[in-house]
Amino acid sequence: MFKPYILENMEFDKDSLYKLGKLSKIKIDESKLQSLSSDLGSIVEFIDRLKSIDTENVDPTSNSLDQSLVMRDDIASDVNSANEILENAPQKELDFFSVPKVIE
Amino acid sequence: MKRNLNFIEAGSLLEAKETTSVDLTKIYLENIKEAEELNCFNTITAEQALNDAEKSDLRRQQGKLKSRFDGIPIGVKDLFCTKNIKTTASSKILSNFIPSYESAVTQNCIDAGLISLGKLNCDEFAMGSTNKTSYYGPVTNPWKSNKSDAKLVPGGSSGGSAAAVAADLCVASLGTDTGGSIRQPASFTGTVGLKPTYGRVSRWGIIAFASSLDQAGPITKTVEDAAALFEIIAGHDSKDSTSSIKEKERFYDNLNNSVKGMKIGIPREFKSNDLPLSTQKAWDDCKKLLQTNGAELIDLSLPHTMDALPTYYIIAPAEASSNLARYDGVKYGIREEGKDLIDMYEKTRSVGFGDEVKRRILIGTYVLSSGYYDAYYIKAQKIRSLIKNDFNKAFKKVDAILTPSTPSTAFEIENEPNDPVQTYLNDIFTVPINLAGIPAISIPFANDENNLPIGLQLITNSFEEQKLLNIAKNVQDTVNYESVPKNWWQT
Repeated sequence: MFKPYILENMEFDKDSLYKLGKLSKIKIDESKLQSLSSDLGSIVEFIDRLKSIDTENVDPTSNSLDQSLVMRDDIASDVNSANEILENAPQKELDFFSVPKVIE
Repeated sequence: MKRNLNFIEAGSLLEAKETTSVDLTKIYLENIKEAEELNCFNTITAEQALNDAEKSDLRRQQGKLKSRFDGIPIGVKDLFCTKNIKTTASSKILSNFIPSYESAVTQNCIDAGLISLGKLNCDEFAMGSTNKTSYYGPVTNPWKSNKSDAKLVPGGSSGGSAAAVAADLCVASLGTDTGGSIRQPASFTGTVGLKPTYGRVSRWGIIAFASSLDQAGPITKTVEDAAALFEIIAGHDSKDSTSSIKEKERFYDNLNNSVKGMKIGIPREFKSNDLPLSTQKAWDDCKKLLQTNGAELIDLSLPHTMDALPTYYIIAPAEASSNLARYDGVKYGIREEGKDLIDMYEKTRSVGFGDEVKRRILIGTYVLSSGYYDAYYIKAQKIRSLIKNDFNKAFKKVDAILTPSTPSTAFEIENEPNDPVQTYLNDIFTVPINLAGIPAISIPFANDENNLPIGLQLITNSFEEQKLLNIAKNVQDTVNYESVPKNWWQT
């Protein structure tokens, strides 16, 4: 097995995990809490390796393409009609996506 | 008909009228049927393929070919949106999604007259290196060890795309590569996999994983095939704002396999005592081969190589957590009813996503959350600059870089490590290339002591795919790797 990194099997704090679940809109299943906490723990431990690297005076790269944004003519097109798009909606009413009631 | 027909051969046979598109399509549909056990396809579009093949044959009769490759059957990773054909990203959450539009890449294939046989299985949302995260079950590698009967992973995430080409279920296929998802499965299946320069191929209509890293490319039987299919799918697209405006080149016609006078860099940081002896030997043999053929080897340092994988596991999940926010049970895909809107979101996403996708969304949300954004996300983007800079410096001295594609050959499906980070190591040699946005190709070079294929990776500077393909062809033509898996799945 290829093992260039040594990890100590850190655990991810369980309260923070519930908070992340809320932010991500993913329910944290209690039966999977332990395994998720150890999985995320090792990933965080792994990415924490980077903290020791000196990045003083280094600019961030968000995208590797060395090209300024290309403009295109502002011409209306009729692809993707409302009807076509709504074909995939789990629930629709008239020309709208329909969701559970938001305002009482 | 010859087994394992390649893209160029198929084109020649069609041109010589020794076969028809309908005949070829029927043969491949039959091959697919016999290989059900490999689980390569999520959707087989037999009827449409035969219809399209008939139209191609008619065009040939009338001398109205769309391209010289008109009528060749290929497979498409189930990550490309295909109009009126189910597109699932191998996820439960998109298990009923039928796009109303065609991705730019598959449209380019249609415009060249290629025939799609169906949608190929992959890791869920392209997240994985084993194809085991697919909601539709793992793909089985057509290769087996000569010492065991155990089923092996085909690699991932384009596992179905690679396995289908290796098992001869299509002439060639389309994959996508965010951290190695074309090259790693190509390496595990003895096929050729090309990840183009970021921006060469339009991302429009490809289900997004990590937008600053995703790039589509071909998985094929030969380097010539890769050049030909790459030429078909590449080119500027005004619908993708990161699409390069560079003119498309004639990659196939301009192939030239000379490496005389070229400088090939060998990066120190890729050397490891953990590397299997057979992989090390293949790498060494390839160095000697290139030297014999007139290239010069240059010792090289890419100091941030070992930082690339943790950097990737910040940037890719961060982008994924943002891209996958759209799956909320409102616009498309499945919905799980809840007591209110938030509850509906949470239930839909909990039921719809698999474990690996959830892990990455959670990590991505973590590194982007307030208080951690600078420490993780911005830090990773800065290290990305350092990684890119390493390559920039290297390409001032060398024409190309040679490394192994993967730290191991294919392993058993049942033998995947429990710790996700151990699985992530599969991509340790491929990930730096995506972060730098440069092109790379994996080509089969030899088989290991278990008779499993070993892939080697060649890397060039941005937009130097022609040089990349030329060097790859030199290696291919010299080494003459002709091994194919035994067709044990055909009873």
